[in-house]
Amino acid sequence: MTDKKLISGEESVRVFEAMHRGVSRRDALRMLGAAGVMAAGAGSLFGSSSVLAAGESTAPVGKRGGSIRVAGVSSSTADTLDPAKGALSTDYTRHYMFYNGLTRFDAHLTPQMELAESMASNDATTWVVTLRKGVTFHDGKPLTSADVVFSLNRHKDAAVGSKVMKLAEQMQDIKATGPLEVTITLSGPNAELPSILAVSHMLIVAEGTTDFNKGNGTGPFKVQEFKPGVRSVAVRNENYWKPGLPYLDQIEFIAIPDEPSRVNALLAGEVHVINNVDPRSTKRIEASTTHRYVDAPSGNYTDLIIRRDQMPGQSNEFTQAMKLLLDREQIKSAVFRGFAVVGNDTPIAPGSRFFNAELPQTTYDPDKAKFLLNKAGLAGAKIPVIASEAATSSVDMAVLLQQSAKKAGLNLDVKRMPSDGYWSNHWMKHPLSFGNINPRPNADIIFSQFFQSTAPWNESGWKNERFDQLLIQARAETDDGKRGQMYAEMQTLVHDHCGIGIPVFISNIDGVDARLKGYGTNPLGGFMGYMFAEQVWMDA
Amino acid sequence: MSTHILWLIGRRLAAAVLTLLIVSVVIFAITAILPGDSAQQILGQFATPEQIEALRQQLGLNQPAIVRYLDWFGGLLSGNLGESMTNNMPVTELLQGRLGNTLMLALVTSVVSVPVALLLGITAAIYRGGRLDKCLSTLTLALVAVPEFLVATLAVLIFAVKLRWFSALSYASDVTSPLAFIRTYTLPVMTLCFVIVAQMARMTRAAVVDQLDSSYAEMARLKGLGNLRIALVHALPNAVGPIANAIALSLSYLFGGVVIVETIFNYPGIASLMVDAVTNRDIALVQACTMLFCSGYLLLVLIADVSAILSNPRLRTR
Amino acid sequence: MSTSVSNPSRTSALPRITSPWRSVGAVVCLFWLVMAVIGPWLAPHDVGQVVSDDIFGPLSAQYPLGTDYMGRDMLSRMLVAARYTVGLALVAALLSSMIGTFIALAAAVSPRWLEDGICRLMDALIAIPSKMLALVIVAGFGSSVPLLIITAIIGYAPGAFRIAYSLAASLYTMEYVQVAQTRGESRLYIALREMLPNMLNPVLADLGLRFVFIVLLLSGLSFLGLGVQPPDADLGSLVRENIGGLSQGAAALIAPALAIGTLTVGVNLLIDRISSHRNGR
Repeated sequence: MTDKKLISGEESVRVFEAMHRGVSRRDALRMLGAAGVMAAGAGSLFGSSSVLAAGESTAPVGKRGGSIRVAGVSSSTADTLDPAKGALSTDYTRHYMFYNGLTRFDAHLTPQMELAESMASNDATTWVVTLRKGVTFHDGKPLTSADVVFSLNRHKDAAVGSKVMKLAEQMQDIKATGPLEVTITLSGPNAELPSILAVSHMLIVAEGTTDFNKGNGTGPFKVQEFKPGVRSVAVRNENYWKPGLPYLDQIEFIAIPDEPSRVNALLAGEVHVINNVDPRSTKRIEASTTHRYVDAPSGNYTDLIIRRDQMPGQSNEFTQAMKLLLDREQIKSAVFRGFAVVGNDTPIAPGSRFFNAELPQTTYDPDKAKFLLNKAGLAGAKIPVIASEAATSSVDMAVLLQQSAKKAGLNLDVKRMPSDGYWSNHWMKHPLSFGNINPRPNADIIFSQFFQSTAPWNESGWKNERFDQLLIQARAETDDGKRGQMYAEMQTLVHDHCGIGIPVFISNIDGVDARLKGYGTNPLGGFMGYMFAEQVWMDA
Repeated sequence: MSTHILWLIGRRLAAAVLTLLIVSVVIFAITAILPGDSAQQILGQFATPEQIEALRQQLGLNQPAIVRYLDWFGGLLSGNLGESMTNNMPVTELLQGRLGNTLMLALVTSVVSVPVALLLGITAAIYRGGRLDKCLSTLTLALVAVPEFLVATLAVLIFAVKLRWFSALSYASDVTSPLAFIRTYTLPVMTLCFVIVAQMARMTRAAVVDQLDSSYAEMARLKGLGNLRIALVHALPNAVGPIANAIALSLSYLFGGVVIVETIFNYPGIASLMVDAVTNRDIALVQACTMLFCSGYLLLVLIADVSAILSNPRLRTR
Repeated sequence: MSTSVSNPSRTSALPRITSPWRSVGAVVCLFWLVMAVIGPWLAPHDVGQVVSDDIFGPLSAQYPLGTDYMGRDMLSRMLVAARYTVGLALVAALLSSMIGTFIALAAAVSPRWLEDGICRLMDALIAIPSKMLALVIVAGFGSSVPLLIITAIIGYAPGAFRIAYSLAASLYTMEYVQVAQTRGESRLYIALREMLPNMLNPVLADLGLRFVFIVLLLSGLSFLGLGVQPPDADLGSLVRENIGGLSQGAAALIAPALAIGTLTVGVNLLIDRISSHRNGR
């Protein structure tokens, strides 16, 4: 089975960086431009992963059997098995146990065919998706195009409360054109549709599902028990369409919100996998011979938001000064103990595809900042900066910024807000505040959601016509080189004019029982991009 | 006499209903004041205005608060606690398992802590001013002064990670044998005892000392009675009122106040459910948890007052 | 029993502490009071400044109490935290005990309907989740030190009321109180001169514990965003933020925990001493 993709635990940062810039996507786009048809079935572009993932060694095949217990970070009555409503890493992880998507991200964020056998398009606007044959849901119902149409159309209904409504709106028309064929018409060309369909929210549910607590999907595991806020128990789907998978008989998934307790539970041998390990706990895990930690660089960032539509952020000098006052190296070492990559105020992480390496790195420069602040007439001003535990490490970052700003004569007043209600009441609503953006699979999604002038989450409220034009052009541009140039220019614009300071990209650290094999990394997030379930096995 | 007690209990139960009513109104008002409603909380960081509007419509959040309250209240009268807004499950279903867990933990902790506290308090009172008294009070104080999360984490580190005697996580559902029971409950119960024993012991000591210093105790001493006898036979019955109240107060903490222990040991109880409910502005669930917590507290206070009255005949006339 | 219990302490309502140095409790309390007053000026470093690359550093000449989870000087942080903890907890504990006790006395001598009303109100207050209360206060009024004190009082005065009320109700039935009533004394007089002195010991014992609970509450509130604003902190928050150093026995964790311990024991020993002064007629 060629789709079986195992990422060995030893894979790490280097592979991530190398492969992220890899040839696969470029080939895909060239095909799209030249031949007009992309992504046919096995052996072609997206279908056979073994062809695409050339840099990977063929992973050993795992052992069947065994059950594990896994602890995530958050559990509450809001836990859901409805993919559209997934809000947290614990939700995504559960969704990938019970459901499949049309496509699936590999370890390098390249979309691979999953329930779709192929996705074809001439103009990147009209896409024909052909579904795999012989796939059944847990309740025995076979997968048909109606399920896909239902699953994708749901997102556009505001009453569903989908987390990807904005993203789904571009799918103007979704209709079944055969029992196993779906035609998707976009509102404008977008070559990135395969990766949009790979996000966990777009996983496929059975047509007409209203009670999602049964988790009736096509995924590798079935729901045995699901109690929101308590735990879920997943048992192997014996009829899984990928032969030989999954390896494990059972996965019990719980959450331990308190970090030291999570690490203790791992070291006490009561859970086998945990995520969101504090960098300070890596030493403890290292010291245990029966455990290891897995460190995965990601596109996750906590950013300083300077509103460009209010004072003092309206002043270009002030905005530049604030970026100069972020002591990136100190944030990386003091807050993240080195488990982070220095950022350059653009949301594209170093090592990612389309990362603009030519952009000069902004560094801590209090003297220049002081000069700029004087010029802006803000020397010695006292300005509140809003932070919260809700935005990862933002309180610590705010305190460091306060210290760095002091050296430029700027008096920042750190205001810590409750996590509770932070996103609806404070995020983007103050002249200076912090936000946090989880990794997004590609540049187009990040830029469209958070930097386009009209985007609802245009965090800094900046407006740049040139940027908006480039964004639309890049979606339709099929020449990879030209597209890269566009993204490079967009990054320069964001770096120079946008009110977003991105000091570092935060790495994910997972803690794993050493007997668990096949556990790798994924830049999308911990738990192997939330997709570990079907790929790992116990080697007891 | 017993009719008097019954009359009192009846009156108190009626008052309890009134209190619960006040509490439900106050809670409803507070949730209405709190910024952000459950539509915003459910949809989270990346919600669009039209989604929030649609969900509000769906959840009936657009109706005035009074209408929503009366809706909820009407449901309550017909025995329906409502549905959770976050996951559409009936509140009773969410409470079911957890209520049992909370009561179990509270019961085990009470069985361990109350006798220990009484013993410590009475002993300290008898030897008041002596070395034993000083040792005991310093010890209990030192224990209560350690933050709960530190006690719990340290206990897990030593007994679960290093020694592996007890489990780091406490699932009520895993308990199948007495041994499993001990493995599961020892650490959380120990942590909770650290928190509540001190208050009960100190109040017991203070109340008994007060009685021992009174003139009737003096008289008894002159009659040649031993300290222990005076304490148990004469002082204790008169001190039951404040002691029982202190115990009731401490034990009421075991319902709603054990969030930290529930979190660290991953014990599914009511306290963390209530925190979730508040975070999600899930009004029906907040109401149900608060009602439970409040009823538990009122019941404890009632028991305390009844025992005070039974032990102090003069209060009966009140 | 005997009416002669009355007014045992009229002469010593305010205890004289002639020689504080004989009392460990008084010494410890004095130490912390002094620290609270002058501490922040003694701090060698800025409270938010990262001074070392070594986190959870051990005691050293350079950093006498080691470094915290970000490599900041622990001594400086402790000195700042002491002021907040001592100041806030002391004020909040005293106020909640006083308020609780006076409401209890008022309830005990009030007409039946008022007494019942007060009891219902207090019961209702105890039943409201403190997290909810804290959130409402932050949302409505922002976060400031006076609000922190108010939150602590709303959270803990009803508990103090419960204890005091059970004492007061019991005392109200005593013969000497009834005698005073028949003498025609006013309710205020009865409450303050006849009843209060006789319930002070348990109330004081309760005050000592309330102080500890409020110290610990502060760290919980700071977690909810209602608390001392960073980079400043209180002692409980210092323990919480450095919990990661537990397995290596970091000074950054032990020092604030010990500080809370000594403060607690000190305050309570002092209270015990005051109590025994009162009794040591």
